[in-house]
Formats: sequence, structure tokens, C-alpha cells
Amino acid sequence: MNITENPIFLTQKRLTYRTGVLAAVLIAALIGLSLLSGLIAYLADPKALTFRSPQEAGKVFYGWVIGVEILVLILGGFSKISKVLADDRKAGLWDSNRLTPLKPAAIVAGYWLGSALREIYMGAVLAGIGLVIVVLAKLPVTLWLGTQILILSTTLFFGLLASLAGMAFQRPQSGIILLLPLFFLQTFSFAFPKFTIINFLLPIYGIVNLFQDPNQAANDYNDFRNWSDWPGIFALPVPPILLSLGLQFVMGLFLWRATVRKTANPFQPLLLRWEAIAIFALLVVVQQGLIWGIWHGRFPTVFASDHKFYERESLLPIVHGGTILVGVFILAFASPLPERVRVEALRTGSGNLRLVFSRSAVSLSLALIAVAAAMSLTHFIFSFKDRGYAWALAMGNLFVFLLMFSLLLEYCRLRFKRRSLGFVALWLFVLCILPFILAGVFSSEALAKLSFLAPGTVALTGTNSDDLIVPAYATAIHFGVVVLLFIGWQRQWKLLIAAPPLLPPAR
Amino acid sequence: MSSPVLTIEHLRVDFPEVVAVNDLSLIVEAGDVCGLIGPNGAGKTTTMRAVSGLQECTRGSVKVDGHELAREPEELKRRLGFMPDFCPVYDQLTATEFLDHFARAYDVPDRTKRIGECLELTWLTEKRDALCEELSRGMKQRLVLAKTLLPNPQVLLLDEPASGLDPLGRIELRKLLLQLRDAGKTVLISSHILTELSGFCNKAAIMERGKLVMSGTIAELGQKMGRRQMSVKWRNAADQALQILKGAGVKNLETIAQGATFEFDGNVDALDGLLKTLVVDGVRVTEWRGSGDDLEQIFLQSGAKELM
Repeated sequence: MNITENPIFLTQKRLTYRTGVLAAVLIAALIGLSLLSGLIAYLADPKALTFRSPQEAGKVFYGWVIGVEILVLILGGFSKISKVLADDRKAGLWDSNRLTPLKPAAIVAGYWLGSALREIYMGAVLAGIGLVIVVLAKLPVTLWLGTQILILSTTLFFGLLASLAGMAFQRPQSGIILLLPLFFLQTFSFAFPKFTIINFLLPIYGIVNLFQDPNQAANDYNDFRNWSDWPGIFALPVPPILLSLGLQFVMGLFLWRATVRKTANPFQPLLLRWEAIAIFALLVVVQQGLIWGIWHGRFPTVFASDHKFYERESLLPIVHGGTILVGVFILAFASPLPERVRVEALRTGSGNLRLVFSRSAVSLSLALIAVAAAMSLTHFIFSFKDRGYAWALAMGNLFVFLLMFSLLLEYCRLRFKRRSLGFVALWLFVLCILPFILAGVFSSEALAKLSFLAPGTVALTGTNSDDLIVPAYATAIHFGVVVLLFIGWQRQWKLLIAAPPLLPPAR
Repeated sequence: MSSPVLTIEHLRVDFPEVVAVNDLSLIVEAGDVCGLIGPNGAGKTTTMRAVSGLQECTRGSVKVDGHELAREPEELKRRLGFMPDFCPVYDQLTATEFLDHFARAYDVPDRTKRIGECLELTWLTEKRDALCEELSRGMKQRLVLAKTLLPNPQVLLLDEPASGLDPLGRIELRKLLLQLRDAGKTVLISSHILTELSGFCNKAAIMERGKLVMSGTIAELGQKMGRRQMSVKWRNAADQALQILKGAGVKNLETIAQGATFEFDGNVDALDGLLKTLVVDGVRVTEWRGSGDDLEQIFLQSGAKELM
């Protein structure tokens, strides 16, 4: 169906116009024109402002324009789409639309492209003014084109994420949960701009790279803070714009599938198991590929002879932490609700633990661990003999962490039902954060090593094998916790599957 | 016998704590107006949501005019109109724009004409340009009914259509539903207020705790309930009428002003025969009512007694 004939798109357009567009467009125009007038003032009287050249002035003013554009399109658009969808769901309009013969893809497209039209108009006005700034400052038009393509692609990507958030969460503001990992990981990304995937998923590197002067010599004091070069995937240079567009396109495909599936049947899990594995694999492969060029498979041999860049010490542990975080999010989204598994057991008549295991997040976590372990191994290929123990310990840590999380999540869902989220948070705090707090309170480093997060981090900092004895013991203890959780998990599932069909309480 | 238009077979819907609908099978034939009756929590709304495809079923199948929900959901949706028990409307659209949205979604030919027809049918022509947020609850209810009628569906599922309406709104809605019945629509209508359905439905299905307790025509159900309470009124020949009734073996015969009440054990044909005898023998019958035709009586005798 053509989008201009899509009833949901047309209705969202009507609703946008009914609540007014002109004022918003004028605000965007005023902001843009103020910045444009700043550039014109500088061009008329170069001494009035402290720029070294019209190009520099143009870049600064254009930078502000796209900053506002990003704010309006990406953040404004995200909240608008997720709010419209959540409100329509609450009002029953989403269901009304689902009752029509409209295809789920048409429903998603209508909301995705129609809900944030006001923000799109504002963005278009700002983009137009940005073009004028670029032309007046005699900047290359490729700067404008490249940045606008990246902003458009990111807007579409975040729009899909917002659609999913609107469908998955009861309250629109809850959708921000999907953005939290992005913002959390962002804090690390500026220390290693070229080496963190987050700078490409959000196209920060691509945009900043376009602003860099191509004639400027490579950043000479710290290669790690260099925004000028192309990033490398397994040491193969890739244009940053292409990397961002490619990543957003592939991730966007998965998001699209999830939103369409959720529209066709809201009782489906957000992610199918193969999709969960594919998304995780994509993120892990790209991330490990980005940093592969640092050690070229000889971790940490090259690093040991070169202490100039101390940041390198923390890069692999950060990636390890990021892998755990992404794994946790994916497991949480792909984990089926216990009742759904029970219904399937009722449907198929095979109420045994094999069915539970095949549907559970526990088996999925094993697949994620295998992917992460294989990709992490690439850094140790040529140094495995000397440093294989560090890799094994880190992967052992990843193994117990993801297993612990999936078992804990399902155990709490089975045991505490609606109160499960609080209990999951409590136990994660106890197992992961509390040891660090206690270590601070009692000034004992050993206590910190008891955290589920610690062993892998310590192992990947390039420390000697002697220093890894405590983390190895900690991992063994963690494994014991996992075994206990497994026993409890198994018992809860058996109780659920064996439970007789329930009827409403007698009146 | 008419052909079945809506066929529900062994429908089961599980919720986390309960089986909301348990092994429900029901056939509604073309032109039937079937009341789905049961106390709150009996599973009426869940059944309707499952039939319309909004609620996932654990087991069972739903067919509308031969199209199975699991295999041909789009074909089924074209033939089915579902009106929920609340009024989902776009507050900032006018009544016409609201209907236009759904007319496009259903790909209704000659949209403007059809929207006008539906507005007229639901007595909303004067409100065609009013914003939905300005409409009263009853008007919104009628607008949602107009939306449901837009694609001219073969089967209408109406879930508690009068819930939240004031007495005037209920009277208006009742008139509208009678029009639909007379227009030959197949309707499955749920309610726990039985007076809403009395005199409107020709069939009923009684649900209790997710299960179908019984279903059939009103007369069949009355018969299943056993002895039928009857009342008859006449203008003349009272003695002759009483003789005929006694001769027919009625029980607990009591005279009332210009008539009598009695209990009758026979089937519907026998009851019809009794009426025919009275008329043929010159009794001018002015009223002939059976409590077996009364949904409330049927429901109370069915065992599903928790009326709200």
C-alpha cells in the first residue's frame, strides 16, 4: 500500500495538522535563521567574531543547526511515536486498526512515518537552513549531504525503536528503557571514538568525521582520540558513513520484523530466538572487529611493550562489560513469559522440561555465550599459549553471568509473578554491585572480586596468571550459585507445567 | 435450516491464572441474533475477542462464512464487525473523518456514500462534522457501531453494547439493534443485563466460568428448563377457554382478570396446538406469553445465577 493512501498515516497527518504545525515550524525557522544571521554577520565583518576562517564559522553554525535537528528529529520523534502508539493502545484504537484487513506492515508504517510529522517538518526547515549555511561558508556540500543522510537514517532507526517501545510498554515514558543502554555506553565511547560500536550505531563518529579537515595531519598525540580516520573491521578500513548506515539498516530490519510481528500478534515475544542470536552476533562481531586492529590477535603482547596509551588497558574489559549488558537486554526481551510456555505445553501436550529448555532464555544464553566466546577468541589467536587462561576465565565469567541472569529472570517470573522485576533487580544488585560497595566500606579489594562482574574484567586487563587466582575461585563460587539457581528454576518449571488447568474461582 | 455463518469449535483461552474460555463450541446461523449471556467474568468478552482475532487462543478454531481465523485472518476480518464494550475513537477527528479512516482501512467502495448511510443509520447525520470528543457517550457508542457497520459485515459481534449508557441511550441503542435484526444481520451480542436482550434475540448461549452451560433457540432453552410458566388473556368465552386449558392437562391453573396463568409440561408444538385450539373454538386471545421465552427465567434456571 502506498504510504499516501495509508489510512493510519493520513489520520496521523490530520491529527498533526489539527493540533497545529505552523508554530513549531516557525520556532525551527527562527532558531535556524538566528544561526544563519550569525554567519552572515561574521562574513560581513570577520573581526566581529573570533573565527579563523569562514569555513570554521560555517562548521560551528552548521554544527548547532544539526544539533537542534537531531534533538527535534531523534529525541522529539522518538517520544512522539512511542507516546502516540502507547496512547492508541490504551484507547483501544490500535486494536480497532488491527481488526481491519490492513496488513500489520501497513499499520506499523502508518504510525512510524505519520506520528512525528511535525518533527519532520521542523527537521526539514532546519536542514534547508543548514544547506544555506554550508553554501555561504563555502563548505563542501558533501558535509551537508553526509550529515543529513546520517540524521535521516538515525531518525528512521529511532522511529522503529519508538514504535517497538510504544507497543511493548504500557507507559510511553517506559520506552526510554530502550535508550538507556545506548546512553550508558556512550559515556565510554568518547574515550575511544573509533573503537566503540555505539559511535557508529548512533552516527556520532560519522558526523564528527565529516567535520574533520581532510588535509589536517593525523592526530599526533593520541590515536585513540582520533576522529579523522576510517574505522577498521578486523583491520579492514570501512567508511564511517557506510558502517553507520549498514548497522542501522540491519538492526532496523530486525526492529521492523519485531514491530510487524507484534502488530500481527501482540502475544508474541519481542524477539524470536534466531533474531536474538543474530542481533547479538552482529553487535559482537562488529565491536570485536573494531578493536581487533589494536592487538591483531596478540592480546596483550603488543600493548605490553607500549605503555604510551594507558587507555588500552581498559578497552577489552569495557567491551566485555558491554557484551554482558547487551546480552542481558537481549535475554530479557527474548525470554518467553512462563505462561506462554505453559500454554504451548498444553497445546502440544508435551509438558516436559525439554520443551521448557528449548523455549527458555537459559538455552538462548548458551548460544549467546558461544558467539561471544568465539569473537573474543580472535584477540588471543596468536597469544593463546601465553594468555589463553585469561580468555578462558573471562568466558567462564560471561558463562556464569548470562546463565545466572536467565535463570534468575525466569525463576523470579515463576516464583514472584508480577513482583518479579523488583526481585530480579534486588538479586542483581546483591550479586553484582554490593561486593563493590562492601569493598569500599571495608577497604578490601578481595570483596570486590566476588562480584559477578569482576572476574572477566580483571582477566582482560592483561594481568599475570598469579593475579587471577582469586577471580578464578570467585568464578567457581559463582558457578555454585548458578547450580543452586538451576535447581530452583527446574523446580518452579515442574510445578507450573504439572499444575492442573485452572478455572476461575467458584462464586 | 439456515447455514452456519459463525462456527466456534472447542475454543480455549488461557490466562496466567485462569482458563478464561474452556472448550466452547457454538454455531450461529445466518440471520440469528444470539445473546451471549453470563455473569461478569464468565468469559463473554474473551470469547468475542478470541473470535475477532484480538485474543490468542490456546486451542480451537473460529470460522466465519467458511473462512478460518488461523488461516485466512484478512478474509475473516472483512466479514466480521466487532464492537467492544468501550468507545475507541480519535477525539480530535470529526465523526466523518473517523469513519473515513476505517472506510479506507476496509477499502470500502464509494466511501462518501457509505459513510453517509452509516451516519444516517445510527442517527448521527447531524453530528457528522462534530469532533468525537464533543459527542456524548451514547453518540460515541453509535459512532463506533457505525464504524463496525461500514464494511457491511456478515457477522456482528457486539460486546456489552449498552454498558455505561443512560436510559435514553439504551432505548436508542435498542431501537438501532432492532433495525439491524430486521435488516437480517447475524449478531452475537453479549450482556449481563438480560432485559437488554429479551425480545431481541432468537437464540441464546449461556456461559459460566468460561464454559458454555447451554445454547439454542429461546424456545428450546425454555423447554430444556422444564415446565413452562404461561399467561393468557382473552376478551370473551372465559369459561370455554378454561375448559380447554383444563382439558389440555395444564398444571396450577389460576384465573386472573380476563385471563389465566398456568404451567405447561409439553413441547413447543403442543403449546402451539393449545393456542390453535383456543382460537379455533372462538376464544379471542389478546395475549399469549410464556416465561420460557424470558431470558431472565432461562438464565436463572440454568445454574449460572450470579447476575450483576
